[in-house]
Parts: sequence; structure tokens; C-alpha cells
Amino acid sequence: MSRIRAKLALRGNGTLRSMSAHVLWRRILMIVPTVLGVLLVGFLLIRLAPGDPVLALAGEHGDAAYYTFMRARFGLDEPMATQFVTWVRRIAVGDLGTSYVHGRSATAVILERVPATLLLTGTALCIAIVCAIPIGAFASQRPYAARDLAVSGASLVLYSAPVFWIGQIAILLFALRLGWLPVQGMTDAGSTTYGWPRALDTARHLLLPAVVLATHEIAVLVRVTRAGVVEAMAREHVRTARAKGVSERAVLLRHALPAALLPVITVVGARAGHLLSGAVLVEVVFGWPGMGRLLLAALQARDLPIIMAVFLLTSCAVVVVNLLTDLAYVLRDPRIRLR
Amino acid sequence: MRPFSLAWNSWVNREKQMAGDPLPFRGRRMAQLAVSLAFAVVLAGACRDEGSERSADSLVAALESDPGHLNPSITTNGGIHTAAGLLYDGLVALDSTLSPVPSLAERWEILEDGARYRFHLRAGVRWHDGSPFTAADVKFTFDSLLLRFHARTRASMSQALLRIDALNDSTIEFVFRRPYAPLLQQLDVVEAPIMPRHLYRGSDPLRNPANLSPVGTGPYRFVSYSANSEIRYTRNNAYFGALPSLRHVTLRVVPDAATRVIALEAREIDWLFSVPGPDRARLRADPGVRLLQASESPGGSNCITTVGFNLDRPWFRDVRVRRAFAHAVNREQFVERVLFGDGRAADAPISSHIRFAYRTGLPVPGFDTVRAAELLEEAGWKRRGSAVRVAQRVPGLPDGTPLSVGFTVMGTQSTYGELLRAQLRVVGIDLRVIALETVVFAQTVFTERDFDTAIAAYCNGTDPEIGVRRQYVSSSIAPVPFSNMAGYRNPVMDSLFDAASRARDRTERRRLYGEIQALAVRDLPYVWLVETLGTRAHVARCRGFGRSSHFAATARCDP
Repeated sequence: MSRIRAKLALRGNGTLRSMSAHVLWRRILMIVPTVLGVLLVGFLLIRLAPGDPVLALAGEHGDAAYYTFMRARFGLDEPMATQFVTWVRRIAVGDLGTSYVHGRSATAVILERVPATLLLTGTALCIAIVCAIPIGAFASQRPYAARDLAVSGASLVLYSAPVFWIGQIAILLFALRLGWLPVQGMTDAGSTTYGWPRALDTARHLLLPAVVLATHEIAVLVRVTRAGVVEAMAREHVRTARAKGVSERAVLLRHALPAALLPVITVVGARAGHLLSGAVLVEVVFGWPGMGRLLLAALQARDLPIIMAVFLLTSCAVVVVNLLTDLAYVLRDPRIRLR
Repeated sequence: MRPFSLAWNSWVNREKQMAGDPLPFRGRRMAQLAVSLAFAVVLAGACRDEGSERSADSLVAALESDPGHLNPSITTNGGIHTAAGLLYDGLVALDSTLSPVPSLAERWEILEDGARYRFHLRAGVRWHDGSPFTAADVKFTFDSLLLRFHARTRASMSQALLRIDALNDSTIEFVFRRPYAPLLQQLDVVEAPIMPRHLYRGSDPLRNPANLSPVGTGPYRFVSYSANSEIRYTRNNAYFGALPSLRHVTLRVVPDAATRVIALEAREIDWLFSVPGPDRARLRADPGVRLLQASESPGGSNCITTVGFNLDRPWFRDVRVRRAFAHAVNREQFVERVLFGDGRAADAPISSHIRFAYRTGLPVPGFDTVRAAELLEEAGWKRRGSAVRVAQRVPGLPDGTPLSVGFTVMGTQSTYGELLRAQLRVVGIDLRVIALETVVFAQTVFTERDFDTAIAAYCNGTDPEIGVRRQYVSSSIAPVPFSNMAGYRNPVMDSLFDAASRARDRTERRRLYGEIQALAVRDLPYVWLVETLGTRAHVARCRGFGRSSHFAATARCDP
């Protein structure tokens, strides 16, 4: 590999001083064995778990000949190793297989649902970041005072409550009792609007599930921000700033909070996978037409091509988010280098 | 919103005063922007425009799951049949007494003592795309779709059917190897939806694009399918039957049962195909909602929740133990506590909704714990001061073996297990409830036969040949879900079912099914617990809903 060191100069505060291109490439290439490992484990878990997809497809009745016919049709009569090799070969040429239930390409089935999940999880993540950092900073200003205890208590409650329960309570309160927001779906039923009216309709339907999905993340990020700021406030550079007469607000926003954001970035990256798993429950409760619901239905029906395609997509997404987190780390702190 | 906004601004201002405000304008503006955005979204919700309100000619129904496709001829999946039923027709329809009435077939003749059926098709029927409907469509549907991919039609009909002949465009004949009595009960839109040959010919039916943009002859035409979200239909103005009142029907996918009920209460949904038991009382108290009960559904009709004994296990070889089990069960408690009143205690092996075959007055063991205890003592299961009985000279079991048996259930039916466990404990039987996922249950119970007792909802269908036969005949002891779970073998039973399937005369069939039920009650391979009903719910402004598949075709709504 070329040893050319690329100076990835950034404008503005110029934090990413130098990072080897080959290091970046190495990180990207690491995605391949990681994803392959995830796929192998996923394949074995699904295939070794009890439950026959053909029985699920046939439902009641059927006969032995029907099951034999369907197994041969889906290649399920082959040895497991052959099935895995065939499947990996197909993936190599971009074919994720055909869904047993949908009778269509698994890629097409999933891609139809990805935008809805991205919209939900992306909005939830934004809500979590926008809410959690100020709240965490607010709590950290008076450690162990009433405001800190109140925020910590609220975080604990939010983190402990199951997301589906929060969802049901939110629906009962904001949709049924107050009538402010819709109960379910991504748009009004039968809606034929386009453009801005549709965007507004979608935003109205998005708010409640996104906030519910964000609750766990808010709870975690508040705690991390609060702890990070309290720790940063005790550091020498903060003491120096104070000695120089910098105001408390400036100390917080310019000196303590930036230092406290490093662990927040780490947690945000690490929680990406968690957010996707939370989306499964939220999508079910709110009837949100995303990938999580598809995965749940596919697991129940043992629709292997769909399950494995979702595994592939989510594992890639998590690995990419982790890489972006590393890059963000470097951007945030010029002393850190990727090795 | 206002108190939050004030608190935020006050905090920002105070901090600003304290600290000389390094970012004075940006922070406040960001906060105001965020609050305004949230407020705008909530306001938008509060001020829905009139256009989003549904008119009197449209209906929104909730589906439990995304069907994946809309071809009911290649699957028995209830969700797909529920979603696609409005698009198609069968050769016949079934009225409220399950008697066949004309649909795509205008009339029919039964020839050669029931070995040949000739159907005369309705003239002038067209597919939704304008193509004419002919006998070739019927032949193609059976030969290339139903008898290959529809598990139920394939399993029940393919052995008896010799061939299907399209005599001309408007006449079709079904020729059987022997007289076949239940055919007319198997030709409605659930069991045999007729599909367009011109769209499926020469293609792989499982991957045909028409599965997602379906064309039928039914009362509604397909408009759009938004994956995992909703399916929209519009009225078929050229429908050969009565023109539906509702112009638009939207099927909305709402997977969570509680959310579906709340959506009905919020009037986002007009029709629910099912209502969970605990929610029924709340909906009954809502003056804007009406409840309906029906024994039919596209997933299975006339179901009896049944406990099956694995007759290969030594505990259950003695009929006295099975009889004791049956005496220990209080069926009324199941109706009250599990079904919340929506059903009845089963008193025969065949559903009371199949009126011609159902037999009354059978000596089904009733709730009698004293008699149950006597029978267990007689069979060698003694209670020696312990809660659980132990074996004493029970064939095939060492003395001292506790009467502790597994009870395998699907996760959705675990409440049956909990109640049964409590009831059987009274007579000294220890029941270990093993809850499994649906597909795992099917594999464990029917394929591997690794269970002591299990519970399943056996849907009898519209004729005992469809859903009862498979429970009792020895040829159904096979790795097939919902077949002969008990592993019951009795040559007399086999011959009675064969005779009933051949007998064309209903009186004769009634007599034979009576004998079958008496024999089943004598041998008791199963305990028939409860006949279940499906509870539908709809908004009070709509009425006139029809039978399961064409539920919206006869409905009308007020503004």
C-alpha cells in the first residue's frame, strides 16, 4: 500500500492535522471481515434456530409433497454449507436473494423501507443531541443541587421505562386524550397530498415516535454530558480561564463543554445500533412503515433473505457510524491520531 | 410550550448576565427556533384541514401485518386473504348458513352422483383491466396456481380431482376420481379465488408483478400499495354484483393491537378485523363504536381451540386418563377468562356453526373433579398425600413416576396454559406450560412430535372435509401443521370419513358425521375446549358490513 501521507487539511479550526490515507483505507477495509463475520454468525443463528420457513409459509393444511416442492424451490433442501456459500456468492454480485414471503428481491423490499427508518432514527438522534447536551450542561452547573438531582432522576426514569410503554402512554396522552398528534402511520390514511402539505403531514406523524425513540438516548446523553462537564470543570485549563477572569458562561461553553463532548461523540456512535433496535419497537407501536417492522415480520416467518439482508445493511451502517465516530473524534480533538 | 419557552429564555438571559455572553444572539435564536418548530408541528396537528376528514364514501380498515403481496391463490396466509379479498371472486359465494350461492358461476349441475360438477359461468364479466373473464381463467387458476401453491386446496382436492375441462368460454367441468361431496364449500373467494390467466400465463406466479398490482373481478379495484403502510382500493363500477356504496377503501397496516384499538377510538380507523379481549369492554362503552361477532375469517373459519394428547406417550394410552383430564377442565372458565365471553364451550368435535354436521347431545365429559379423581385412581395414578399423583402399576411407567406432563402452546395462547394448569392441579395433575413461537410450535408438535399435550385452534372451515378430517384420519399423521396432532389411529374412523366425503346426500353426510363425533367422544384423542368467535369493531357511522372477504362491499357510511 502506498505510504503517501495525505494531509487532510480542514478549514475552520483545522483540527484534523494529519491522517494517513492508508489508515483510513485500512479502517474502511476492516468493514469487509467485520460484516462477513456478522453475516456468518447471523446465518448460523437463524438456520440453527428452530422453525421451518416453509411451515410458516404454508400455514395450516398443506401436505408433505407441498413442503418438499417449496423447499426445493427456495433451495432449502440443500446442505447448510451449500446454502451459505450460494448465498455469499450472490451477495458478492449484489444479489441478496428473493424474499420467501414477498416473492421479490430482498434488496427492493428493504430499500422501500429504509427511508422511513432513516427519517425516524435520524430525527430521534437529532432530538436526543439537541435536548440532551443543554440539559446535561444545565445539570452540571450545580452538581448534586436540586436541578442536578431532578435531571438525574428524570434520566433514570426515562432510561428504565420500556420504549413500547412510553410509546403507548404518549399515544394515549397526546393522540387520544389531547388530540394534538396522530396515533399511527407516516401520513394520514388515504392521503394523496404532495409537496409541503405532505411534508407537514409526515412531520406531524413523525414527532411522537421520534421523541419516544429519543427518550432512551436523551437519558444516556444527559448523564454522559453532565459527567463530562463536571469533570472538565475541575481541569487546569478551566481553572486558568477562571483565573484570567473569563465569565462562568464562557468557561462552560468555550472551555468545559467542548472537552466534555468527546465522550458524548463516542456514546452517540456506540448507540447507533441501539437506536435501530429501538426503532423496531417504536415502528410496531406507531405503525411506522420502516425496516424494523419488516425485520420483526421476517423473523416470525423465518424469511431468511430478508433477515440476512437487514443484518447486512445494519451491520454496515453500524460499522460506518463507528468509523465516522472515529473521524469525528479526530476532528474534535487535534491531539488524537488514528493509528 | 409557553412555560418551557419562558424557562429556557430566563435561563439563557440569566447566564448571559452572569457571564458576559460569548454567544449572545445565536443561543437565544436557536432556542426560539427549536421551540417555534415544535410548536408549529403541534399546532399543525391541532389544526387539521377539512380535506383530511374522511367523506361518507370512504372507509379505512386496519390490517395486522403487511401482506407482502396481493395474490391469495398462492398462499393460505390469512393476512393476504384479508387484504386481497375485495379484489377477487370465487366461482361460488357462501351465505350465512354456509350454503353455496352464485358468484362467478351463475349455476351448476352435479353429475355422476357427485363425481362431475359442471359450472355455467356468468356472462359479460370482465377483469378490472377490461379483459373478458372466461372458463380458461378458471382452469388456469386451479391447474397452475391453487393446486400447486394453495396448501389447503392442494391438500384437500388434488388427490380426488382427475381433471378440469373448459368445455367452452362459459362452461367448466371438474371431474373427480370418485364422488366428492365438499367441492361447493371449497370454491368461495377464500378457498379458491379466480385469477387472470392473461397476466400469469407463462410466468413464475411467486414473482409475477401482478402480485403487487393485482387485477381481479371483485367489487373493488386496486389503486396503490405502499409497502408496510397502506393499500388503496376504489370501487369497481363494472362489478357484476350489487354496486358497493363505498367508493374508496384504504387498508392501513397497524401491527400493534393496542394501537389499532386507540386508532379506532381516535377515528383514524373505521374498521378492525379483530379486537383483543381486554379492550372489548372499553369499546362497548364507546357510543361511536359498534362490535360484531363472526365465526368466519379469511385465516380460518369455525375454529375450536383443542387440547391434543400425544397418544404415543404412556401417560395417555389409557382412555381413563384422557377422560379424567376432560372432566377436570372447566370450559366455561375459558370462555369467561380467556375469551372474555366471545365464544362458547365446545360440546362436540365439530363446530356448531357447520349446522348440517354438528351433533348435539353427545356424552362429552363435563366438569366433574370428583369423577376425574376416581378415573385417575382407577388408572393407577394415586395421590399419596402429595399435590401431584404418582404411578402405581401404570403400564409403561415405573412406579412412583409423577403425573407431570408438558403442555406445549403457541406464545399467543399461553393464557390457556395458565388456566388449564390451575384447573388440573386440583385433581393432582402437574402441567408444565411450554410456550413456543408459532413456527417453532408447528415444528415441535407436528414435525418432531416432541410433546405430551398441546393446544391448537383447529379451524373446521365451511365443511368437515376441510378442517375436521385432518384431525382424525390416520393418513394425516404426518409432519404437517394442524394435522392429526394426537396421532390417533382408528380404521373405523378412517372409513367413516371416506364415506362422508363420498356421500352426496346431506342427510347421509349428517348421519355419518354424527357417527364420527360419537366415536371421537368415545375415544377422546382430544379435549374440545371452546369455539372461538372473532370480534370486529367499526365506527357507528358505518353499517351493513358483510362476510369476511367482501366485508366492505355491502357497507355504507354516514357523513
